[in-house]
Amino acid sequence: MELSNRDIQIQMGSQLSEQSSREDLPSLLIQVPSRTIAGFDCVGRDAVFPAALSERNNKDTVISIQAPATPPAAAPVRAYDDTQIPYSLSISMPASPSGLHFSQFRAASVRRNEARAAVAPSDTKQVEAQSPRLLQQTRFHSQPILHASQINDGTRRADSTRDKRFDPFKTFSGRLERQLSNLRGRPLDPMDLGSHHSKISEETDQVPGTDRYFDALEGPELDTLRATEVAVLPNDEQWPFLLRFPISAFGMVLGVSSQAILWKTLATAPPTAFLHVSLAVAHALWYISLALMGLVSCIYLLKIVFYFEAVRREFHHPIRANFFFAPWIACLFLVQGAPRELAQVHHGVWYMLMAPIFCLELKIYGQWMSGGQRRLSKVANPSNHLSIVGNFVGALLGAKMGISEGPIFFFAIGLAHYIVLFVTLYQRLPTNVTLPKELHPVFFLFVAAPSVASMAWAKINGEFDNGARIAYFIALFLYMSLAVRINFFRGFRFSLAWWAYTFPMTGASIATITYATEVTNVLTRTLSIGLSGIATVTVAGLLVTTMFHAFVLRDLFPNDVSIAITRRKPKFSKILAHFRSSSSDMKELVLSVSKSPNTDSDSSVTDTDPSVTKGKAEP
Amino acid sequence: METISDSLKPCVSQPLSAKGAGLAEAGDGGTMLKASPAPSKPPRLVASRFAMLTRFHAGYFRISLALSGQALLWRTLSDRSTDPSALHPLVQSLPSAAFVLLWSLALLTLFALCVLYVARCVVRLPAVRAEFRHHVGMNYLFAPWISWLLLLQATPFLPPEAPSYHMLWWAFSLPILVLDVKVYGQWFTRGRKFLSMVANPASHMTVIANLMTARAAAKMGWHEGAVAMFAVGAAHYLVLFVTLYQRFLGSDSLPAMLRPVFFLFFAAPSMASLAWCSISMSFDTGCKMLFFLSMFLFASLVSRPTLFKRAMRRFSVAWWAYSFPLTLLALASAEYAQEVREPAASVLMLALAVLSVLVTLALMVFTALRPNDLLPHDDPFFAGTLPAR
Repeated sequence: MELSNRDIQIQMGSQLSEQSSREDLPSLLIQVPSRTIAGFDCVGRDAVFPAALSERNNKDTVISIQAPATPPAAAPVRAYDDTQIPYSLSISMPASPSGLHFSQFRAASVRRNEARAAVAPSDTKQVEAQSPRLLQQTRFHSQPILHASQINDGTRRADSTRDKRFDPFKTFSGRLERQLSNLRGRPLDPMDLGSHHSKISEETDQVPGTDRYFDALEGPELDTLRATEVAVLPNDEQWPFLLRFPISAFGMVLGVSSQAILWKTLATAPPTAFLHVSLAVAHALWYISLALMGLVSCIYLLKIVFYFEAVRREFHHPIRANFFFAPWIACLFLVQGAPRELAQVHHGVWYMLMAPIFCLELKIYGQWMSGGQRRLSKVANPSNHLSIVGNFVGALLGAKMGISEGPIFFFAIGLAHYIVLFVTLYQRLPTNVTLPKELHPVFFLFVAAPSVASMAWAKINGEFDNGARIAYFIALFLYMSLAVRINFFRGFRFSLAWWAYTFPMTGASIATITYATEVTNVLTRTLSIGLSGIATVTVAGLLVTTMFHAFVLRDLFPNDVSIAITRRKPKFSKILAHFRSSSSDMKELVLSVSKSPNTDSDSSVTDTDPSVTKGKAEP
Repeated sequence: METISDSLKPCVSQPLSAKGAGLAEAGDGGTMLKASPAPSKPPRLVASRFAMLTRFHAGYFRISLALSGQALLWRTLSDRSTDPSALHPLVQSLPSAAFVLLWSLALLTLFALCVLYVARCVVRLPAVRAEFRHHVGMNYLFAPWISWLLLLQATPFLPPEAPSYHMLWWAFSLPILVLDVKVYGQWFTRGRKFLSMVANPASHMTVIANLMTARAAAKMGWHEGAVAMFAVGAAHYLVLFVTLYQRFLGSDSLPAMLRPVFFLFFAAPSMASLAWCSISMSFDTGCKMLFFLSMFLFASLVSRPTLFKRAMRRFSVAWWAYSFPLTLLALASAEYAQEVREPAASVLMLALAVLSVLVTLALMVFTALRPNDLLPHDDPFFAGTLPAR
């Protein structure tokens, strides 16, 4: 098939050589009259080529383009009218660096489809619609596409304007959208359903295994693509907003609602009563967090409805899976910070909020227990604290609401699994690849569990007894050992998940105030005010940074590459081509290329990438 | 089965056939076994008469564990039935005659299995040594002593204060102590037997043995000994719990046919809850927390049926591992319901007790129907560890 393409090209080249001499083009480039095939070249606006050639009758060459195996194209399908025959450059080397891997991917898929077209000429029309946004890229016309079949133009044009690249991530692989467009009156193209699975979607049919997440991603939050990896979606343009909206956005609600509880405690607790903080601050913060919760939940619900595949991939991500607890913990915080007496809240609210946490725990802890790919010695990372803290927060709230057995239940589960996680993280097992070598704000999650556990135990027992004190002192010690290392928290890219790391500081402050209520002296009062101040300042600073990123830099929601990794390792040739065109330096290129044959096999433990330019996961 | 010699037939056939509710006669058992076809190896008929001893291993004590546990459960429930606020006419209708029958059955089974195992030690000592070195097998050496302690606690005619009770307790606890020192010492001192390498769900048996000793001691009135044994058991349980959750080795530590042993995950906290309840004389918050933990682990395992799919394809002695943990959970829930006098707790206790009884009955029926599968030729447990086949 490809041989015949080249023949045709040479044919065309020889025919046109006299014409090319008229142009001021280097001999490397041949200007060929390209036949625009609707669905592939529908770039209506690139009619930039001189109209001087328009009088050329290219009907002969048009026919020669068609390969023998295809059914006779009675009417050449054009996306636009015959008067303007578009000419484009046939370049024999890769075009732009940024778009290379994508177009090569597509060229590969097209080649695949050509082979298939030879076998079954009567079915699929393969090519996808190019969105107008790809205008800026150079067309890759060296392999003219063989057009296999004819379907009526109208539907193709209608569907071709829809960007199908993100379909694999959509719910039911885009069928929902097609149904919607079907309902809107446009006839459905039955070939589309078949064609989708022969393309990029075969990479995204199933969720990648846990090993793939570790192999393909790096960084303390596993959100940076390794240099040897290729994303399924184009990384150089902005994806749809819903696709970029991560679950860690719920961290914002966690941060703000815990601040509301802190200010409420500051206003009501005896040790800090001398500050005369008004309750209005707490209420204002509470309403803000309520609104934020509503907003974030709506957006994420939309993401679930429209991009369920992406949500599924997020759930299987080793770090993001823990953030699925965040909405429920945030709801628990909201109930706790509500401007009404907790004893008056109906018990059913507590049961309703703990039920999803319970189900999530059954899934995630069960995965730890039964071994396999997601066992704890492999996936343990500080974000796992989020799955543990939910137990303690629920126990605290339940005890405050007056429920007796339920809080003990969740406290027991939380304590047992916290001990396991704590030991595992402290061990830093060699099989654990997710722990970052450098310090990262995620380490503050260590402080969350003991501080909330101490408050929960105190509430369950009715007094701040020895057990609560032990837990509180552990929390304080961890806080201190992180605070004195504040110098090492540098060099990290801001991400929305940082909000989730502020609630441990706030939790520690509230626990300190609770302790100070029990043991009142100058030291504890100072400590409580100092910690509260630090927490508030941190949150304020984070708010400013978020605003800055949102409105000035406009990169608050970058492309979420961690869900767009390929299911299998990309082939060596692709990696090589990717590197030839990418802007990485030679050292990285050489080292990565030399490592690629080794890492081509699916080893479970990933090797270190020699380029240590950014913070990396431990091997 | 076809290798049973005439001399061993009466002894052997009795426990294996007596599992069924109505097959207590020896003659029937013998006939049944003789009549069962020997499908695969007729030439083996003239093989060694003791070849069955080769295939017998300590894992068979799961049967005695299950039956003794049932006896204790019935005893506890019938004790509770005298408490007017607790339950339910359902439990009160359990006649004491049935309980005595169950207890005798458990005693006979245990006795027969012990005799068999002694015979195995005498005749096949290398096999016993190999079993002791195996990372799964060594834990089941605790099983006979646990069964004896269970029977001791469930005994209808011996009060805990009697001197013979004390003597029996010492007789059963000393071996456990010796085994403790050996096995636990190996965990952190000996080369290839580090805990991270040998940890598997069957290791819970060691912990349960210690906790059972503690409970029996507490019932006996010896507080210090009880706390000492509890401390040893709890400390090692903590270490084991963390190690097993980490799953350093992945799922390789236990063969797929032994997945029912995963039920021991929730047996250990239930036993700890029972032991602490006996020590502290009331079901306080610590006991509640342990009980809730075991309930959570139970829910977690029950919601993963695919974990057990491979093991459920063929009946084997590993299936008996389902019964004992359920019995322990039912016992713990009985104590919980006793403390928290809520209808929900009583319902939970009833449900768990019924479940445990049904599972044990089902296992007895299965054993009666398929005695061949109980002593398979290709026991996956000991593929390759036994010297003589």
